[in-house]
Amino acid sequence: MYLESRRTFLKGTALTVAGAAIAKGVFSTDAAAESVKASKFTNTPDSLSFYPPQDQWNSFQELDGVDWKRGGIDRHGVQSEENPEGIYVNDYMIVPTACSNCEASCGLTAWIDKKTFTVKKYMGNPLHPASRGRNCAKGYAVQSQMYDPDRIPFPLKRAPGSKRGEGKWIRTTWDEAMSTIGKKMADTIRKGDDLSKKSVMYHVGRPNENGFVPQIWETLGLDSYNSHTNICSSNGRTPTIWTANDDRTSPDWANAKLIFLNSSHAADAGHYFQQSASFIADARKKGAKLVVMDPRMSNSAGMSDLWIAAWPGTEAAIYLYLANRILSENMTDKKFVKKWFNWETLMNDSEHLNFMFEKGQINKLPVDRSFESYMELLKDMYAPYTLDYAVKETHVPAYKLEKLYEMFIWAGDAISTYIWRAAAAGNRGAWMGGRAAYFCIGLRGAIGTEGGTFFHHWHVISVSGKGGSSTVGQGIAGADVPKVKVWNELTWPPEWPLSTYELSYLLPHLLSDKEWQKKWNDRGLNVPSKLAVWIPRMYNPVWINPDGFRWLEVLKNEEIMELTMNLSPVWSETNWYMDYVLPVGLAGERHDQHSEATMPARWTSFRQPVLRVALEKSGWKAKNPARATLEAHIKAGLGEVWEENEFWFDLCVNYIDADGSLGIKKMWESKRHPGKPVTIAEWYDAAFGDNLPKLKETATNDPRYMNEEFPVYSYLRDYGVWMEEDKIFNAQERELKFEEGEVISHGHKFAASTMSIGAGGVISAQDHHGKEKKIGIEIDGKKMEGFATLTKKLEFYTQWATDWHWREYAMPFYPRNDEEKNQYIHLVSHVNHKYMTEENAFALNTVFRLPYNIHTRSANSKHLMEISQNHDPIWISTKDAQRLGFKRGDAIRVRIVDTVSGLEGGHFVAMAVPTEGVLPGTLACSHHGGRWKLTNAVTIPNGVSDGKVAPGVAPRDLNNKEFLAESPANVGKAGGQSIIDDYEGTTGLNSFGVPVAEIQMDGKVGKLKYVEGIKPFHTERFAEYNRDSGNIWWDGLSGSWQNAVAAPHPDPVSGMHCWHHKVLLEPAQAGDKIGDIFVNYDNNFKVYQAWRDTLTRGLDSNSTLRRPRHIKRPWVNLDPSVYEVSIKS
Amino acid sequence: MDEIIARSNLYALLSRILLQELDVERLEILRNDETVLEFMPHWRDWEPRRETEAQKLLEEYLNPDFTNLSLLHLVPYETFYTRSDQMIETGGANPVTDIYSAYDFLVDYEVARVVSADHIGIEMEFMHHLCEAQLKAMEESDQEAVQELIRVQHQFLNTHLLRWAPMYLINMKYESRTPLYYDSAEMALEFILSDNETLSALVQA
Repeated sequence: MYLESRRTFLKGTALTVAGAAIAKGVFSTDAAAESVKASKFTNTPDSLSFYPPQDQWNSFQELDGVDWKRGGIDRHGVQSEENPEGIYVNDYMIVPTACSNCEASCGLTAWIDKKTFTVKKYMGNPLHPASRGRNCAKGYAVQSQMYDPDRIPFPLKRAPGSKRGEGKWIRTTWDEAMSTIGKKMADTIRKGDDLSKKSVMYHVGRPNENGFVPQIWETLGLDSYNSHTNICSSNGRTPTIWTANDDRTSPDWANAKLIFLNSSHAADAGHYFQQSASFIADARKKGAKLVVMDPRMSNSAGMSDLWIAAWPGTEAAIYLYLANRILSENMTDKKFVKKWFNWETLMNDSEHLNFMFEKGQINKLPVDRSFESYMELLKDMYAPYTLDYAVKETHVPAYKLEKLYEMFIWAGDAISTYIWRAAAAGNRGAWMGGRAAYFCIGLRGAIGTEGGTFFHHWHVISVSGKGGSSTVGQGIAGADVPKVKVWNELTWPPEWPLSTYELSYLLPHLLSDKEWQKKWNDRGLNVPSKLAVWIPRMYNPVWINPDGFRWLEVLKNEEIMELTMNLSPVWSETNWYMDYVLPVGLAGERHDQHSEATMPARWTSFRQPVLRVALEKSGWKAKNPARATLEAHIKAGLGEVWEENEFWFDLCVNYIDADGSLGIKKMWESKRHPGKPVTIAEWYDAAFGDNLPKLKETATNDPRYMNEEFPVYSYLRDYGVWMEEDKIFNAQERELKFEEGEVISHGHKFAASTMSIGAGGVISAQDHHGKEKKIGIEIDGKKMEGFATLTKKLEFYTQWATDWHWREYAMPFYPRNDEEKNQYIHLVSHVNHKYMTEENAFALNTVFRLPYNIHTRSANSKHLMEISQNHDPIWISTKDAQRLGFKRGDAIRVRIVDTVSGLEGGHFVAMAVPTEGVLPGTLACSHHGGRWKLTNAVTIPNGVSDGKVAPGVAPRDLNNKEFLAESPANVGKAGGQSIIDDYEGTTGLNSFGVPVAEIQMDGKVGKLKYVEGIKPFHTERFAEYNRDSGNIWWDGLSGSWQNAVAAPHPDPVSGMHCWHHKVLLEPAQAGDKIGDIFVNYDNNFKVYQAWRDTLTRGLDSNSTLRRPRHIKRPWVNLDPSVYEVSIKS
Repeated sequence: MDEIIARSNLYALLSRILLQELDVERLEILRNDETVLEFMPHWRDWEPRRETEAQKLLEEYLNPDFTNLSLLHLVPYETFYTRSDQMIETGGANPVTDIYSAYDFLVDYEVARVVSADHIGIEMEFMHHLCEAQLKAMEESDQEAVQELIRVQHQFLNTHLLRWAPMYLINMKYESRTPLYYDSAEMALEFILSDNETLSALVQA
């Protein structure tokens, strides 16, 4: 290119002035450069996914993020005395924990600045096998929650003489609260009668741990662990129970060819959102297709290869259309079906075959009992689910269904799916959608395969409650804890014997329903009419459950709810009506073992109070080892914030059963230090070490940990996560293991000598209590674990359904015409198009998450609130809006009408937003909106002037020996109340996210109207973290509190609250404002009764059992005798 | 010895022209230095060079052209040319900062008024400093240091300036509206290519 120089550049030497004088002189070699040379820090990483190696976590230097915009140290050098303008270098200790802002438990690391003993930032944990160092917006919100200016600073008590809900609070001590609550619990338990055992109740929102609190309840001998599950996912779990006797699906997204989401969940908002979304992205990169079935164009649907907008609740028709084509076009994986479907059970059940024939479910009886005849029966049974039929029932265009089928076949046995929330949680009978989905996936052999769909229990670790060997009384993994000898009808009512989880959202209804109580008491049961103690944990049922005004009525009634306390870090609608609010920690402030089935592996995360861990790793020792987390949080300036693990240890040992007479104390008494509560390290060292052999082997052979007092605990403390087993596929084919006279199946041991093989090859053996269990199956001479069902196969014929009066639903089925819709009403969604008879009638789709706004506890995170504003309108199709004359921004009244009772529950006022993104005839409005509070702030004196003590003298600095040597004395006790940093006696209530409303209620009708939006504010508390609290431009209104208008809709089979509504739209009336609600909760009560009385098939005088023994009865181990029941006629 | 002085001076001269608008003092050098004028024939023959008052020449002719060439229409930063997303790397990940740091050089941004250290003027000035170091080593007869500095110059030229500056300079030449910058672009282009030949020969020797 350049051939020769046409000039001689040597002439340059003849410049009149030396070059040095001409040059600008932009380089310097001053103190800044020297400072860079002297420092040890991390310069700009090569990629955003950078994390330091784990062996540097105890001490890691990194340039301050704020200064990066100045260009880093290569511009300014490192800050030092000589170079004060240089970039600040953080001196971090990195402590792993796990997120708690949804159920996924993604790994987090807290980056603790040693010099100030504060968490500067939360990042992901790169060692977490499923979250892989990544987090969603909620994960990074953990920091703003930790330094929330409104977080509850100390234990609160309703002011003596005031009524619940009056908003008068005083500061109390942990000791006083625990004494009062412990005494009331003890007095109730001590009575020993059945009714008393049902009268102390725990009620959890998102548990985010695997078995710890259930173990507490088991040792208390109570059947009163209540969860939120039936407002969440029961209809998604029921099909899994009926089919595989498992809890839920566990898809292998990353290796799938077809990702078939029955909802916006997984890739959009939850469940396991971030982990699933990342795996799905990986799969798509490799060529996988994404199909999203959702009447609303969710974010996932928007980026999918195919969006299927089916009418809510008709999804089963689509699956059965696929099944019909798979069968009729001979695309069935016959080898898999023959091996793992329980076809012999059906073909040998002449009574049921005749029943199906009589009902018209099949057109002819099989000629014999062979597999070929079974296949012919299936072809016959599913032939009516034609394309025309499916198009008509689901409103999905034919070309889309045909495309879906093509993709389904193309994907072979690599089809991953999720049957969760959305369709399942919204509609009556939608559990059958899950059954039908498993059926067509099973026909293709895509169960348990790489890239396929599998089941939960193989992919999860539940050991949180199994640290018993560290206690005096529990024995290894809790083996010596007596089984619970009572059945609580408030949580497991006799109308829903197959309910997947507790009918928790009916608690206020059942407690108020004197007729219902009398009915069952007259029939020989013993139903409570009140609760002595009700303990919600980080739960806000007033807001998130249906029929919120009914909750308020019951919570305010001190005769029904005698003593209430919420273990809650933040203010909530429910807390306002409590007797006690006890602040426990958030994601970086508590211990939990938490595992979820997010990939075909078994991993667990270890949530930790990171500031406490940092202190202990720096050499600090708590004055009271049983309250170490509380001491650490006071030292860190968070306030008197504790954690639940230590709270329960202490409550059981020192307050409920201080003298040991109830037999509870020994269950939580330390084996190493008898008389004292077990400690965190003792408990988790045992829980992990006794139950995860690979982890124990790794930790105890690691030179860094082998000489530690608690090697397994210490290992997880430092890593925050562990994977016990990877690549778990086709686990049903695992062969039974034989060891020292025992046979092992699904992790349980049985006596090998008692093994026998019965009908269908089912292998039985006796457990350690001499009880016979079905433990596996022999097929072609191979003894395998099989599925957890009675037949050890996938039960697409659920024979036991007959025993519980649901025979007609024993096979995957969906009504094929209007007549059958009346006949099989339990499978027809209460918002099916057949009910949309008025011109302004719509099916309201409520059950989708706003990704940033799913939990009460994150409502005061500024950045989450900022991005959530005005995202919860009524989405209405363009043509429906045009037809009714609604324009974008119009206020509309949404009247909720029940299709079972015909009663109207009231209305809410919402903003219309026309869109092409919803199926015509349906609407979308998430029920995660409409938070409210009754006042902006509440005054609860700090008590600085009345003898409260300073949390410490030495400056907060992990390198300061004096700081590490001191710890507050008598924490939680009257003399140990500490001064709360920068707290002047008045605290805001969710100042970033919740507007003020006025409420009126008279026992029958309730109203709510917003009166004041949120405003910019200044806070001294955690001021450094809340510098931009003056920059609030939103009013906080996040939608309408539609949950209060919603009547409970208990699914007659699963017990799920069916969230969707039939609604009538009309223009707002004079005086209406967006956010207003009007509720006839008297009618809502009647709606609950109508669903209960017209749809359920509960226990009757022929019943001998309360529930099938073989299906899961969550939380506590019941004595077999309590299953038995006798109902008077 | 003449060669290293010439190279050092030329890098200094070009770095100054390409880095910022000229000031009166430097303009006078460019207006009057015979060597410079010999390098820049169009500039030499341009009437306003001779007749226009210096401040006016800067404000009405040269500075507007410089602004156009280095701020508005063209981007004189290495990462703009070398990154696939054409983003200028302004942080610590800029590929030249590590090299500057390795020789204890820090860009003083207050003086340089650039957004990142890979500006053509900075890279040219860095070469000037390397030449000055070589000169000093030669004066001290430190042959080892001389060879090392020649190698470093050759490497820096090849891993940085030559990888992108020709593209910028060709564009600059055709975008320029004054003979000074037209000639400067051509001169800079030819000089770095020529210098590479010089250095290659020295490295191979």
